[in-house]
Amino acid sequence: MKLINMTVNGDKMVAYIPDGRVMLVDVLRDQFGLTGTKVGCGVGQCGACTVIMNGEPVTSCTVLAEKAESSEILTIEGLAKEGQLHPIQEAFIKAGAVQCGFCTPGLIMRLYALFSKNPDADETSIKDALGKHICRCTGYESILEAALLAQKELKTLV
Amino acid sequence: MHNYVGKEFDRVDAVDKVTGIAVFTADIALPRMLHMKVLRSGRPHALITSIDTSTAESMDGVKKVVTGTNCDILFGTCLWDQPPLANGKVRHAGEPVAAVIAETPWQAAEALKKIKVTYEDLPYVLDPIEAAKQDAPLIHEKNGEYRHISYVVHPIKGSNIFHHYKLRKGDVKKGFVDADVIVEDNFEFPLSSHTALEPHAAICRFHHDGSIEMWASNQAPFVLRDVLSDMFKVPASKVRVHIPYLGGGFGGKSDVSIEPLVAYAASFVPGYAVKLVLTRQEVITGSLLGRGMKGHMRLGAKSDGTLVALEASMYFADGAYGDTSWAIDTVAGHNCTGPFEIPNCHVDVYGVYTNSPSVGAYRGYGHPEGHLMVNRLMDRLARKLNIPLPEIMKKNFLKEGKVNALGQKITKHHGDICKCLDAVYGSIFTENVPKEDDDYFYGRGLAAMMKSPKMSTNAASTCYLQMNVDGSIFINLSGIEMGQGVHTVFSQIAAEAMNMPVCKINVYKDVDTQFSPWEWQTVASMQTYRGGRAIQDACRKAVELLKYNASLVFHSDVSHVDYDGQYCIHKLTGERIPIGSLARGYSYENGLTVGIPVQTTGYYRVADLTEPDPETGMGNAAGSWTFGCQAALIRIAKATGKIDILHFASAFDIGKAINPKTARGQVVGGVVQGLGATLMEKISFKEDGNIKNVNFPAYVVPRIKDIPHKQTVFLFETPNNEGPWSAKPMAEHPIVAVAPCILNAIYDAIGVEFAKLPVLPSDILGSIDRKE
Ligand code: FES
Ligand code: FES
Repeated sequence: MKLINMTVNGDKMVAYIPDGRVMLVDVLRDQFGLTGTKVGCGVGQCGACTVIMNGEPVTSCTVLAEKAESSEILTIEGLAKEGQLHPIQEAFIKAGAVQCGFCTPGLIMRLYALFSKNPDADETSIKDALGKHICRCTGYESILEAALLAQKELKTLV
Repeated sequence: MHNYVGKEFDRVDAVDKVTGIAVFTADIALPRMLHMKVLRSGRPHALITSIDTSTAESMDGVKKVVTGTNCDILFGTCLWDQPPLANGKVRHAGEPVAAVIAETPWQAAEALKKIKVTYEDLPYVLDPIEAAKQDAPLIHEKNGEYRHISYVVHPIKGSNIFHHYKLRKGDVKKGFVDADVIVEDNFEFPLSSHTALEPHAAICRFHHDGSIEMWASNQAPFVLRDVLSDMFKVPASKVRVHIPYLGGGFGGKSDVSIEPLVAYAASFVPGYAVKLVLTRQEVITGSLLGRGMKGHMRLGAKSDGTLVALEASMYFADGAYGDTSWAIDTVAGHNCTGPFEIPNCHVDVYGVYTNSPSVGAYRGYGHPEGHLMVNRLMDRLARKLNIPLPEIMKKNFLKEGKVNALGQKITKHHGDICKCLDAVYGSIFTENVPKEDDDYFYGRGLAAMMKSPKMSTNAASTCYLQMNVDGSIFINLSGIEMGQGVHTVFSQIAAEAMNMPVCKINVYKDVDTQFSPWEWQTVASMQTYRGGRAIQDACRKAVELLKYNASLVFHSDVSHVDYDGQYCIHKLTGERIPIGSLARGYSYENGLTVGIPVQTTGYYRVADLTEPDPETGMGNAAGSWTFGCQAALIRIAKATGKIDILHFASAFDIGKAINPKTARGQVVGGVVQGLGATLMEKISFKEDGNIKNVNFPAYVVPRIKDIPHKQTVFLFETPNNEGPWSAKPMAEHPIVAVAPCILNAIYDAIGVEFAKLPVLPSDILGSIDRKE
C-alpha cells in the first residue's frame, strides 16, 4: 500500500494505492469517485479514459498511479463551473454528439486540451485529435460538428 | 400539427452525460462489495480432468474460488444448454472455468494465476459448414435432449445443428424451370464484435433470505430476472434487477451474457455484492459475438426481370451455446428475400454449435446476412438481363398487395420503398461519376432493404404514469436508454399525448424490476413504436381520469369537460380547474376530497403474432416492416486498394420521425458501423483456437478518418396505424444494406464480384492484380 498526493479539479487529494498494477484511472474512479472517466479498452486505444495531466491529455488507463504523484489532474467533473456548462459540453449537446455517452467525457477532455493550446487548430488537427478516440454510436459526424461549434464559441469568449 | 412530436429537442440525458454524472454499471460501488475475476479455458474444446484451487484460496484477500464442478444448472430462455461455469467440458477458448472473488480486483487477478487446471484436448471446429457435417467433433453430446421449446427450436440429434429453420413457399423446382436466368454464389459474413464502448459489467448480491439483487449492463431486465429465477429456483418476485445507463448495446447486451456467471459465483458468498467488469479482451472472448454466416443463394428470374425462385442455405457459426442465436437463424431465413416478392422459396438455415463464443443479437440481426446475398445477386441479375438495377428492383419490390416470404400481404401503410429508391438514386446516380484517373477507380452501388423484427409473440411494453400536484408527470417504462435516445423520444411522446411541455415530463432513468412496469426487452428497434403506444395508452387514461374528477366538481356529465394540457374546462360555463388540483382527486376547502388519484397503466402489444409453422416456416410471424434503400459513391486508390466513401445516401420510410435529429444520428452511426463490417471487421482465430484480435487496434473498428466524406439521409413518413403518430422501427435498419451497397459499388469500379466480408485493401489489390 502506497500513499500518493495529487491535485484533482483544483482539490488536493490523497490516495492509498493497493498492491498491484494500479492505474491513474483506477484511483480517479475507485478512490475519488470520479466515475465520469470511463474505461473502454484499458490499453490506450479508445480514448474513453482521457484526462488532463499537467496540461497534457493522457489516457489514464496507461498511466501508472504512482506516476501521478504531485501532478495536477483535470477530469470531466471539473469542467462545468458553478452549474455552468463549458462551451465544449454545450456544443456536444447542441450538435447531437451524445448518444450512449460512454465516449463523451474522453472526447470532451481531448478537445479541451487541444483548444487550450491551440485555439485556431485547423480541421486536420481536430480530426487527428479525435482520431485517438473510438465512438461506436455516432459515426463521428456530429462529434466533428460539436468540435467546430465549440471552437467557434470559445473564440468569441476571448 | 404537432407541438412536440417531429421536433428536434435536445436529449434529456445529454447534460448528465457531458458532465460525467451519468451512472453506468461499472461506476456503481456498493457496501460490502467484493470483486471477481474469471479464469478462461484458453482452449476451444477440451475435457476438464482436474481443477486445483487450493493455493488460490489461501491467497491474500481471496474470499472464495468458485468452479463449475458440482454445478448442474443449465440456463436459457428457449433452449437450456449453457452452464454458468464450465462443468467437465469447455466448448470455447473464452469459457469461464473458475472465478475468484476477492477484496480487490488485483488480488483476484493474482489468485487466478495460481489455479491449476488440467485438460484433455478434443478436436475443435470453427467453420459452420464443417461443424454441421456428420463426422464433425460433437460439441454437445446432449443436443436434442436439452430442455427446449419445441415449436420454435428444432435441433437435429447426434449433430452440432441445434436449430434448423426451413422456409418452404410455393414450388421452387418449378420456379427455376420457369426462370430464364439464374445467378448464384457463396457468401460469407464473418463473426464480429458489437464493440459497444462500455464493456459488460454486473454486480450481484444474494440476500440472506434467498432473494437476489443484480445491477447489470443489460438490455433485457425482465428476461434476466426470469433467467435468474429459473436458475436458482427463487420466485421471480424475489429477484430484483437494476439497469442504469448502457454505454451502447447493439444487441450484445440483450437476453443474458455474463450475468448467470456472476450470479452463480455470488451465490457462494451470500450477503456480499460481487462485481465483475469485463476487460475489452473478455468482451471479445467471453461475452457474445455477432453474425458468423456462410451461405449460398440461387436466384431465378424471367427475362423481363420478374423474380420467380429463390433457393438458399445459410450456416451460422453460432458458437458454444445456442439460446441467444436460434431466433437470429429463423429471422435470417424468412428475411433473406430482402424487400422483394418471390413466389417460390426454399430456404434452409442451420444454427450450428462451433467452438467459439456464443453468437447473440447484433444490430439488425439476421437481416444484414441475407441482404448481402440477395442484393449482390440482384445487381448481377440486372447486368445479366441488361435491365437497370432500379428498374428490376421496382418490378419486384414488396409493394401494396404483394406477398412476403411468410405469406403476409403488404399494404400501402407499410411504406413507400420506391420513394426511398428514387431518393438515393437521385443523390448518387445523377451526379456524374468521376472518370478513372491515375490514382483512383470510381464506382457507384445501390442496395434495398426491409426489416421486420423477430420478437416473442407476447412481447409488449407497459407504462406507468403518475401525475403530481403541480401538473407535472412521471413516465415509467422499462425501455433501456443505451444511446438510441429512447428517454428523449418517450418525453416527446408523453408531451404530445398530454399536450404539455416536455419540461414537465420526467421519464424514469433507471430501470428497476421492483418498480418498473414489465417490458419484454429493448431489442429490435421497438421502443419508440411499442413503448410509444404504451405511453399514449397511459396518457389517454390519465386525461380520462382528470376529466372524470373535474366532472364531479362541476356536477356535470364528463362529456361536458374539456382538457387543454393545463386545465379541465367546463364546455358550457367556461369554469376551469388546474389539472394539478385534480391529480390526487379534488380537495375542497374543508378538505373533503372526491375523485380518483391520477395514476394509470398503459400497454401495447403487436397483435396476433404467431411463430412460423415448423413445416413451412410461414405464418404471421412479422408484426412490422420498415423499408429503405442505400446508395454510395466510392473511390478506390490504385496504389493501396483503400476505399473512400465519397458520398453515402440512405432513405427509410419510418412513418414518423419523432425527433428528426436523433433519428438522423441513428442512421449516420449505423452506416458507419456497417462500413466497419464491410471493410474492416472480422474476428480471426489462431491455430490453437483462441481469438487473435482481442482488443483495439487489432480488432479494427471505424475511426473518424474512415467515415464517408458526406452522408445524406432521407426520412419519409407514410402514415400508418402502427406506431405513435405512425412512428416505426428504424434504429437498426441503417446497417442492413451497407455491405451489399458497397460491394456493388466495388464491382462498378473494378469489375470484381466480392461476396465475402470484409473486403480489405489487400483483397482489392489482389483482385486487380489477378485481373491484369
Ligand atoms: S480505456 Fe484508456 S484508452 Fe481506452
Ligand atoms: S456515444 Fe456511444 S460510444 Fe460514442
